[in-house]
Amino acid sequence: MIHFELVTLDGVKFKQSVYEVQLPTTEGVIGVFKDHSPLVAMAVPGVIKVRHKAGEPDDLQDFIATNGGVIEVGNDNVRVLVDEADLADEINEKEAEEAHKLALKLRSEAKDQTSLDHAQSLIDRSSVRLQVANLKRHRRHR
Amino acid sequence: MAQTTALKRRITSVKNTRQITKAMELVAASKMRRAQENALRSREYRNLARAILTRISELTDVTKHPLYAKRTIKTRLYIIVTSDRGLAGAYNSNLFRQLTTELQADQAQKIQSQVIAIGKQGAKFLARFKDVEVTAVYENFPDYPTANDIRPILNTIIESYTAKDVHTVDILYTDYKSSISQVVTSDRLLPAVFEAVPIPKDLEAAEFEPSAEVVLDNITERIIEVQLSQALLESKASEQSMRMMAMKNASDNAGEIIDDLTLAFNTARQAAITQELAEITGGAEAIK
Repeated sequence: MIHFELVTLDGVKFKQSVYEVQLPTTEGVIGVFKDHSPLVAMAVPGVIKVRHKAGEPDDLQDFIATNGGVIEVGNDNVRVLVDEADLADEINEKEAEEAHKLALKLRSEAKDQTSLDHAQSLIDRSSVRLQVANLKRHRRHR
Repeated sequence: MAQTTALKRRITSVKNTRQITKAMELVAASKMRRAQENALRSREYRNLARAILTRISELTDVTKHPLYAKRTIKTRLYIIVTSDRGLAGAYNSNLFRQLTTELQADQAQKIQSQVIAIGKQGAKFLARFKDVEVTAVYENFPDYPTANDIRPILNTIIESYTAKDVHTVDILYTDYKSSISQVVTSDRLLPAVFEAVPIPKDLEAAEFEPSAEVVLDNITERIIEVQLSQALLESKASEQSMRMMAMKNASDNAGEIIDDLTLAFNTARQAAITQELAEITGGAEAIK
């Protein structure tokens, strides 16, 4: 088991002993188990997947939407430092979809580079949230 | 009779005022508690960020990074954290006094000043200065800002610093020491300050992906971000605490006024009764 901690500006969002954590990094998705070699890596916007125990089916995993940050892996712990993280249960699918549409609209209306960048970051964020919301729906239907 | 009616009206009006100030006091107290709690929450974030930074400093020269580069100061950028609303005691005027002193000192040294104002009161105050450039004003800033709210400010200061438009960035805010003591404080955001902290065992042998430099970029921004968020929350706690005190004093004063007016009202009523009695007895005497 490995200790997984998710640290955001609003405090510690997730703190549990788990079997495996899958993290999206600049070098691709990495899976972290116990006794991983110490590592500091960059997280990119994406979905963090948490498997609580060995052999747990994919649809029982916990999904967390993140907008990127820094990952710190020790021998028996993983700590992720991110600006924002949303647990699947905190995301409302309808709201996520609307936010995504709004972000797309903002991008199409953007006039200068600054507003384009802003819209793009909103899109990145909302699409990850939407992804997590969809994963959650699949989980519920089984 | 006319006097008692007027007094009665005044008592009712002061009682209404007291009710409002009392309510504002309670609201401020609960908001203050929340801001304090939130300020504590980001502590873990800051500690972890600092530990990673210290570890990076062993691998590469942190001070070579553009955000740590010290420059000759020709332009200073201030971020001043004020409130949107008034009625918060000396909260805003304390900040303004400090800012004015700093601005005058800059002028004496021929340093140009730029200001980013958070809060309506700050924007109003700065409109009076002619030779100070107000680069941005954030009104109705959220009470408990998230990373998304802070990001625009963070990007602005980092951009103008790397573009060498400004040579130093300070934040002026009110530090919440306790519910009776709040101190106006000035913190340096840029050039970033590097403080070495003990490195946890796990990090000692850690490898960096893709490279220490990339992580350094990110972690430095995060440290500035947490400083910003901390300053905003401390300010909010101070503002609410000062508002609470101001409203408590106002409620107390209103109570005293009510006591005085009630006394005056009773005297006036008694005087009217005595006079009426005197008139009746006088009238009875006259008939005899």
